[in-house]
Amino acid sequence: MDLKTLLETKQFVFLDGAMGTMLIEKGLKMGEVPELLNLDKPEWTVDIHRQYIEAGSDIVYANTFGANRYKLEKTGKSVAEIVAAAIACAKKAAEGYDALVALDVGPIGQLLEPAGTLSFEEAYDIFKEIVVAGTDADLIVFETMTDLHELKAAVLAAKENSDKPVITTMTFEQNMRTFTGCSVSAMAHTISGLGADAVGINCSLGPKELMPAVEELARHTSLPIVLKPNAGLPDTITGAYNITPKEFADLMTELIPLGVKLVGGCCGTSPAFIANLRRAFTGKKYQKPDYTPVSVCCTPARTVIIDQPRVIGERINPTGKKRFKEALKSNDIDYILSQAIEQTHAGADILDVNVGLPGIDERDMMIRVVKALQGVCDLPLQLDSTDPTVLDAGLRIYNGKAIVNSVNGEEKSLSTVLPLVKKYGAAVVGLCLDENGIPKTAAERFAIAERIVARAEALGIGRENVFIDCLTLTASAEQEGVMQTLDALERVRRELGCQTVLGVSNISFGLPAREIVNSNFLTMALTKGLTLPIINPNIDAMMQSVRSYKLLANIDKGSVDFIAHYGAETPKQPKPAEQADIDLPYAIANGLKGEGARITEQLLANNEPMKIINEMLIPALDKTGADFEAGRIFLPQLIQSAGVAQGCFEVIKKFLSENGGSSESKGKIVLATVKGDVHDIGKNIVKVLLENYGYEVIDLGKDVDCQLVVDTAKSQNVRLVGLSALMTTTLPSMEKTIRLLREQYPGCKVMVGGAVLTPEYAEEIGADFYARDAKESCDIAKQVLG
Amino acid sequence: MLAENIDLDRALVYMGSRGRDASALMPLVSECAEILAQTAVPRYYYRLLPLCRSDAGIELSGTGLVLTGSSIAEHLEGCDRCIILAATLSEAADKLIRSYEAYDMAKAFVTDCIASSAIEDVCDEAEAEIRSRLPDKFFTWRYSPGYGDLPLSLQGKFLSVLEAPKRIGLNVTESCMLVPAKSVTAVIGVSDGPIERSKRGCLGCVAYENCSFRKGGYHCGS
Repeated sequence: MDLKTLLETKQFVFLDGAMGTMLIEKGLKMGEVPELLNLDKPEWTVDIHRQYIEAGSDIVYANTFGANRYKLEKTGKSVAEIVAAAIACAKKAAEGYDALVALDVGPIGQLLEPAGTLSFEEAYDIFKEIVVAGTDADLIVFETMTDLHELKAAVLAAKENSDKPVITTMTFEQNMRTFTGCSVSAMAHTISGLGADAVGINCSLGPKELMPAVEELARHTSLPIVLKPNAGLPDTITGAYNITPKEFADLMTELIPLGVKLVGGCCGTSPAFIANLRRAFTGKKYQKPDYTPVSVCCTPARTVIIDQPRVIGERINPTGKKRFKEALKSNDIDYILSQAIEQTHAGADILDVNVGLPGIDERDMMIRVVKALQGVCDLPLQLDSTDPTVLDAGLRIYNGKAIVNSVNGEEKSLSTVLPLVKKYGAAVVGLCLDENGIPKTAAERFAIAERIVARAEALGIGRENVFIDCLTLTASAEQEGVMQTLDALERVRRELGCQTVLGVSNISFGLPAREIVNSNFLTMALTKGLTLPIINPNIDAMMQSVRSYKLLANIDKGSVDFIAHYGAETPKQPKPAEQADIDLPYAIANGLKGEGARITEQLLANNEPMKIINEMLIPALDKTGADFEAGRIFLPQLIQSAGVAQGCFEVIKKFLSENGGSSESKGKIVLATVKGDVHDIGKNIVKVLLENYGYEVIDLGKDVDCQLVVDTAKSQNVRLVGLSALMTTTLPSMEKTIRLLREQYPGCKVMVGGAVLTPEYAEEIGADFYARDAKESCDIAKQVLG
Repeated sequence: MLAENIDLDRALVYMGSRGRDASALMPLVSECAEILAQTAVPRYYYRLLPLCRSDAGIELSGTGLVLTGSSIAEHLEGCDRCIILAATLSEAADKLIRSYEAYDMAKAFVTDCIASSAIEDVCDEAEAEIRSRLPDKFFTWRYSPGYGDLPLSLQGKFLSVLEAPKRIGLNVTESCMLVPAKSVTAVIGVSDGPIERSKRGCLGCVAYENCSFRKGGYHCGS
């Protein structure tokens, strides 16, 4: 017997109930490691499995839920030892019965970056170790997961290191989200894409409360649905659960019409629950949900269903952008993040990410940018590269279901890109070109589109996941080609039923009034069936076209979205009445970011950039600094002023890079939140202020390895290092970092700050300066670097 | 949904008010409070457990958790049971602050301070529920790992006894930091008779040196 046969031959597959609850009844103390009992009291585990099998479980979960390297660390036992013993117990219990044994894997117990310190790669290794140790099991179950990224690492570890079937379940709350904010739909699309055999929900609530989540799941997956609820809700004073085995079973039968296929229990359930379940389900028929494939991309928190035009923001791309190229060369990830945030606020649904530039490691940059973007932005990403190794790396680290940009009709492209799309369960943009370039006619482009779709389907990638780009040619050069593009697009949409993509802005190269051409072409394309325009959403005219199209095409019902954007009678932020009265110091003092940038632009016409910096920006900042120290303003106001100054510096930087100059730095400073510490808001505030005082900050982030601080300071010839720590438990890392600096890079000054530090302690651990607050850090920088 | 009335005065103290005029800042504070209230998903979980005193410390019966140190022993004097409580504003609050950090540090800082205040409000709400579920009992104030000589290193065990990762999504890092960051763990002593309130002055507190409340002439309220 195997899982596949079970699923094909049985109406329902019965899982087991709680292991922890049963072990506590036998004498396990709360808070202790239950997996040790596989070695210490194997008879307990065998007995519990046997009870479940006799109650009717087709599959029992071995007692391996927390058997990972991290949780077993202090027990002195290895993962291999514990997992082997646990599976042996379950196998022993199953002797003489038909039951299957699952390797049961729960969350690691350490959160992944950016919330915690565990990297995706480390998580993968931890799961790989368990999967390899569990070779004797019949299948692998990942359950009680709350972080989709962790679950993805787990499923990849299973798929790449075993050929066993995989079942995954996550834990949802009443708001239909996991603790980390993952939605049911995002789980369904991501996990189906990665090739799991069944997907579902366990723990947290009772069957009744989980009903809406199951309903939602059925709408988003064609996989068999798993459900293992708790025995209702626990009483917090006593810990007891509130429904009986009979009530549980009856409630579970109400979920049959929603499409459940594999059923069992979680916390608070016992063999009696499984026996009742089995009895209640006798004679009932499995009701497979109707599932129509839909085009989707997602992140844990945001699922974008492409059932109407969705805007792909094009700004994260260095092509033709000096400032962006500079950011890539200098590892300025913050600049790239700011491009993402701006497009998000402008109304983009999806962000294209292209970080290819000669002279940089594109693969490494793709990984870092995807991680950074997903830490702060919920929009799904379209990973854009011509290099399959870059796509592979980006798809692997991506959290959710991504879009790949792109494959084309060339054999080499089809045979390298499509397998990646399949493996990671992504969607893909198919370009209508091949070895012979871009065909002139609509018919030829359509033929390539057909070929791409056929190849994708042959690999098991449904056409709902192939988005065809019929390619925009420049109207000024190939005017007759414009309608060919649109005709091809229309046929693709109508005859192949695929989503369609177009990079809209290309149309107007070499023409005046490009916005007019772009926005009109966009409207034409939308009426022909364009569903995924790639545009610059920051340009009002483009979003206006999209929003008015949606209104006119009866997609934006009741014009709700349109009115929300354009219905306000007065602009949201009225400009100060007398613009002429505002000067740079006033803008900085009052946090007027837009004004600051505008005034700087005007000043650049008649003033040397350094004069603006030294005679206007810095004195204005000094004044707000003094106001802060004198207790006249709050820190957020100081930060806002600094933000205005930063905007002014940006304008000057851009001016200098366009005019062949480079901005003068007052000196480099390395900043880091020390090893073990994940709270870095304080360090980030210091960074903003230092940058606005003209220092170049090399920000190593949080949880920074002690040696990395030394190596960076050394290689960059840095004269001042700033270290931050929030917890008493991480102060030793700060001390160690200072010691290493003294040993390997004497002469470099060190300033320290953070909630638990005192001037005395700073001195004790060998720091040169104690910074009470962000402003004082700037004073110290001035003292050290000038 | 977070209570409508997050204590904004306390949040201003965290922002370092100390006599500063907050009027110019209030629009930003209100805006941030509103967005935080919409975003955060506050949760708490607690258990009532009997206490068992030994040479090693105070054991919470039926668990492997032993509260060590003299300060907690003093705190729980006269109590035969205790509540262990864990509360969090959720990863969504952390993420909101993190995303502000990418483009608006003032909002990030303001929201961070409001969140620090809001988690205390969530604990107050939990405590009110506990008090109503246990009428006629007497309670100590909330005492957290890291206070006095109650070690921070207990966090891991504390959370596993409560199954906090599974119940409310609260975890701890190897360096004993709670994740999500805006979270609290605490012990509340429970007794059948009135508890003599130990001295509550600031001098006994480990945070005495750096406490922004004390410097501002306030008490932390616990």
